[in-house]
Amino acid sequence: MSKSSTGGPPLPMRHPGGRFTGPVVKPKNQKETLLRIWHYMRQQKLGMISAVVFVIVSSLLSLVGPYLIGVITDDYILKLDVGGAIRMAVLLAIVYTIYSLLTWLQSFVMVRVAQKTIRKLRQELFEKLQSLPLAFFDKRQQGDLMSRMTNDIDNLNAALSQSVVQIMSSLLMIIGTAFALFYLNWLLALVTLTVIPLIVWATKQIIKRSSVNFVARQRDLGRLNGYIEETISNSAITTLFGKEKQTLEEFTESNELLRSSAMRADIISGFMGPINNFMNNLGMGLVIGVGAVMAVHGYVTIGVIAAVVTYTRQFFRPINQLSNLLNTFQSAIAGSERVFEILDEKEEVADQPGAKEKERFRGDVEFEKVVFEYEKGKPILKGIGFTAHAGETVAIVGPTGSGKTTIIQLLTRFYETTAGRILLDGHPITDYSMTNVRDHVGVVLQDTYLFSGTVRENIRFGKLDATDEEVEKAAKIAYAHNFIKYLPQQYDTMLSSGGMNLSQGQRQLIAIARAILEDPDILILDEATSSVDTMTEVHIQKGLNNLMRGRTSFVIAHRLKTIENADAILVVKDGEILESGNHDTLMKKGGFYATLQNNLALE
Amino acid sequence: MQAVGKLINYLKPYKAFAIIAPLMMLFEVSMDLIQPTILQMIIDNGIAENDTPYIIRMFGTMIGAAVLGLIGGVGCSIYASRAAVNFATDVRHDLYKTIMYFSTSSKDEFTLGKLITNLTSDIEMLQRALTMLLKVFVRGPMMFIGAVVMVWFTARELFSILLVVIPILAFCVYFFTMLSGKLFHKVQKVVDQVNTKVQENLAGIRVIKAYNRKQHQIDQFTDVNTQLMKRNITADQIVGILAPLSMFVINLGIVAALWIGAIKVEGGTLEIGAILAFTNYLMMVMNGLMSSSMVLVQLARAIPSAERIVTVLEEQTDIVSPKHAAEHSIRGDITFENVSFSYIKGAEPVLKHVSFSAKAGETVGIIGMTGNGKSTLVKMIPRLFDPDEGVIKIDGIPLQQYDLQQLRESIGFAPQKATLFSKTIAENIRYGDEDATEKQIAESLLAACAMEFVEKLPAWTEHQLTQGATNLSGGQKQRLAMARAFVRKPPILVLDDVTSAVDSISEKKIQQAIKIQFAASTKLVVSSKISSIRDADLILVMDDGRIAAAGTHEQLLKTSSLYQEIAATQAEKGGTLSE
Repeated sequence: MSKSSTGGPPLPMRHPGGRFTGPVVKPKNQKETLLRIWHYMRQQKLGMISAVVFVIVSSLLSLVGPYLIGVITDDYILKLDVGGAIRMAVLLAIVYTIYSLLTWLQSFVMVRVAQKTIRKLRQELFEKLQSLPLAFFDKRQQGDLMSRMTNDIDNLNAALSQSVVQIMSSLLMIIGTAFALFYLNWLLALVTLTVIPLIVWATKQIIKRSSVNFVARQRDLGRLNGYIEETISNSAITTLFGKEKQTLEEFTESNELLRSSAMRADIISGFMGPINNFMNNLGMGLVIGVGAVMAVHGYVTIGVIAAVVTYTRQFFRPINQLSNLLNTFQSAIAGSERVFEILDEKEEVADQPGAKEKERFRGDVEFEKVVFEYEKGKPILKGIGFTAHAGETVAIVGPTGSGKTTIIQLLTRFYETTAGRILLDGHPITDYSMTNVRDHVGVVLQDTYLFSGTVRENIRFGKLDATDEEVEKAAKIAYAHNFIKYLPQQYDTMLSSGGMNLSQGQRQLIAIARAILEDPDILILDEATSSVDTMTEVHIQKGLNNLMRGRTSFVIAHRLKTIENADAILVVKDGEILESGNHDTLMKKGGFYATLQNNLALE
Repeated sequence: MQAVGKLINYLKPYKAFAIIAPLMMLFEVSMDLIQPTILQMIIDNGIAENDTPYIIRMFGTMIGAAVLGLIGGVGCSIYASRAAVNFATDVRHDLYKTIMYFSTSSKDEFTLGKLITNLTSDIEMLQRALTMLLKVFVRGPMMFIGAVVMVWFTARELFSILLVVIPILAFCVYFFTMLSGKLFHKVQKVVDQVNTKVQENLAGIRVIKAYNRKQHQIDQFTDVNTQLMKRNITADQIVGILAPLSMFVINLGIVAALWIGAIKVEGGTLEIGAILAFTNYLMMVMNGLMSSSMVLVQLARAIPSAERIVTVLEEQTDIVSPKHAAEHSIRGDITFENVSFSYIKGAEPVLKHVSFSAKAGETVGIIGMTGNGKSTLVKMIPRLFDPDEGVIKIDGIPLQQYDLQQLRESIGFAPQKATLFSKTIAENIRYGDEDATEKQIAESLLAACAMEFVEKLPAWTEHQLTQGATNLSGGQKQRLAMARAFVRKPPILVLDDVTSAVDSISEKKIQQAIKIQFAASTKLVVSSKISSIRDADLILVMDDGRIAAAGTHEQLLKTSSLYQEIAATQAEKGGTLSE
């Protein structure tokens, strides 16, 4: 625990799974971040205060030990007073007992404080993520957010549960020991202190060199692991094209780079242990040598030397520890900064005061000159306007990137319009509360996402209090029942995260069942059946037709049949409505839509 | 443990390093160990006799020992790192090579995610364990044994204290190490749950928002989060007992030393210096024990990693080139003779007695509902799997007699999932043919109807794709994957449902291009759309792993009820209008 040649920086012990641990990042605004962390810890005031008290008392007690040893040696053992020595030894035993109890108590209390703080932070971060607008998630990489939630919080966790107490006790130990040393003998104290600049200097040198090498190693490791991840994931292609040799050559290149940079980083950081050990031994040697010479000339007693030797040992340990701890703390602060950065993000637009809540929507939808831009000056939608009456089915057609999906995402309030209004039953959509709108607008998305859990739970996501019968009924309408009944545990079959053990088509069927169960007033289908083969689609279509009857529905589809039957077709191109009407009027008009249709008819 | 034996072979080239490192460490430890004895000698001989030259001599010895110890420690670090890094790099290389040549069924069995973990965290775990083993595992026990031996020689009168202290300490260390293993295993389980929850909520954020399930998700998270906190508290609090407890035991040993020492010094059987030396050795005993236990924990963790790695290394790849490959340049006649295949031995076959043949230059269309063996059928041709029964021949020669490399290079395969690499578009196309000229790349892009969007990109074919090509639409990815197959100009072209996301007009153009540019190639086209295969020379209608019907479009319309049914659902309006 004390001097160790175990080498290297503190390794993440608990999470061997973390693949890409970056180099220690320097925090940007240390003071402010520390204050914020403090704000969280302050909520466990009682725990904090008692931990601090325990630390102070135990640090004091740890100073009493060596002092007593010195006294026992000089005043009792050397004076051959056995009775007195034993009495004093008992006193020493009591001191040690209390000391051990307090050290345990301080970690006992501090663990609680730290874990509660971490839980609060993790919870806040999670809730924050739930409240952020989709635009936020579009800009961020999922892996990056993940690592803030895990690695960064873990770093802070490590620092809080161990480092806070340790830094405090190390500092107290160093100061207290220094005092004790000077009290015992100022000359020997000075000798001990001479080694400190040496330790600081050596540590700095090593950290300076090793951090350069660490960055290089992390870079190479990150690159190699990235290469591994991609090539193994795509290895089917490598096999198909017989490219094993070429891939292996590229791998070897990265692997060799890592070999040399890892070697350099490991060797240099491994010097830390032996060098610290050397400094300790050197300091100890100096103290003993000088002390002995002084003793010969009668300046100190043997007991004082004994006490000084013990103190010196106590002195170097916290110094070595501190340099390690500061590292941990730095990465913890850097991590917290990344967490706070998310907590400071702007949330989804809040509801207007007195926002309306409606029991049911009729389903009249009107877009009034709606403009939307992700980036300033680059509009995706350039003044979209249309009216859909309650119960109508509207098909939205257009080439990739024309803005079809954006139109319906505005209707679900995934994004807010840049200009113009969207009216729902005659009132601006922003007049209703966000939850009210989303509760009554049902969406089946292009990329269906299923959660890990049973098939039943996934369908029930559409209506949390649905009975088993309702779930199965919805599945039957969506034509999902047909494959579910062949699954090993039917509705209780566990799906893996992302529903990867089902085919894309089956996942879409479950997503449709989910929407059916929700029973929304307005239904949106975004390429809902794109991955379902045509024979199955015919069956679902019947179910969907039942579902769409009587409610306003928006359909983004590419199969002509669905489009033809729509009450209205919006042809969207480059963010504008090029033409609209039903199939017959559009065909007669002979515009873009008619051209597309005629091209196909030539087959 | 057998796994460890296998991996030891990888250490052989670095045997010298692996032997020198512990020896150097031995050196450092010995130097540390003699320090308290020198201290004792200074006190008992030097100070007691007022012998200043002796003290200075001993002081010199002490500093000398410290320097020698430093050399030992630094040396150990150098050689241990060398051995461990070299070892890990070599194992990683062989592991990667093994996986690269894995058969598809081996990959399915191990799963790609686990193989990636083997190559990353498992190897790192091994490297860390080996470094620890070479450095600390010598240091810990040596420190411990050395300290005991030194006490025997220098302060034998106090040796009895060790007989009490060591068993208690050893028991504590053992007990808490075992306990912490269990506790942190439990913590890790909840950590995994928390991570899964977060990951799912990020990936499924749209669904959550669409269904307004924020509170529901938060409630679920609160449960695991609170559980994680509770388990962490328990684990940390219990494990936190060890350090104060062992410190306590050692301190009691010191008290005992003073107690007994006082009596013995009075009796004249012990000198005061011995007591001081003894207290120093006690510290070493504790440190030695604790660090040994830490290494043991690390090693115990590394063993499962080692086992996983060895299992992968020992996996026999069943699909290999024959010793004497057929010398023959592939023309493209394909014959399936009574081919059956199942992914899992003994399970329901995916292909059942499939027979058909196609002449070079012909087009074979394969149609049927999802899950009826269409993809599996075409995957048999580049030998991703070998049939359980029956023979597949190209130009009359069984597949197994061809050199694998040659066989696969003769096939241009565009798989169902359009997987691209995070490289430029040109580099992705060149994956099909390393020597392709810019003109050839442009031609294949044109044929795949990909040029129309590639030329709109700012850097054209030098456009850098992201991982998973997330900035391209499904149709765009499929077109690039087709171009990659086209650029090979292969005698056999396989298109496995690659136009599902391509609009009908573009698909028509692609079909035209294939007809002209690949007139001599045998073409196998898998699709669920009749429009994609209508013109094929032979259409196979797959149902439940069998060929339910075979013939041309016109023939099948008359003879096959299944084909009629498919045709009816797609009718003339089955096309797709826009992507």
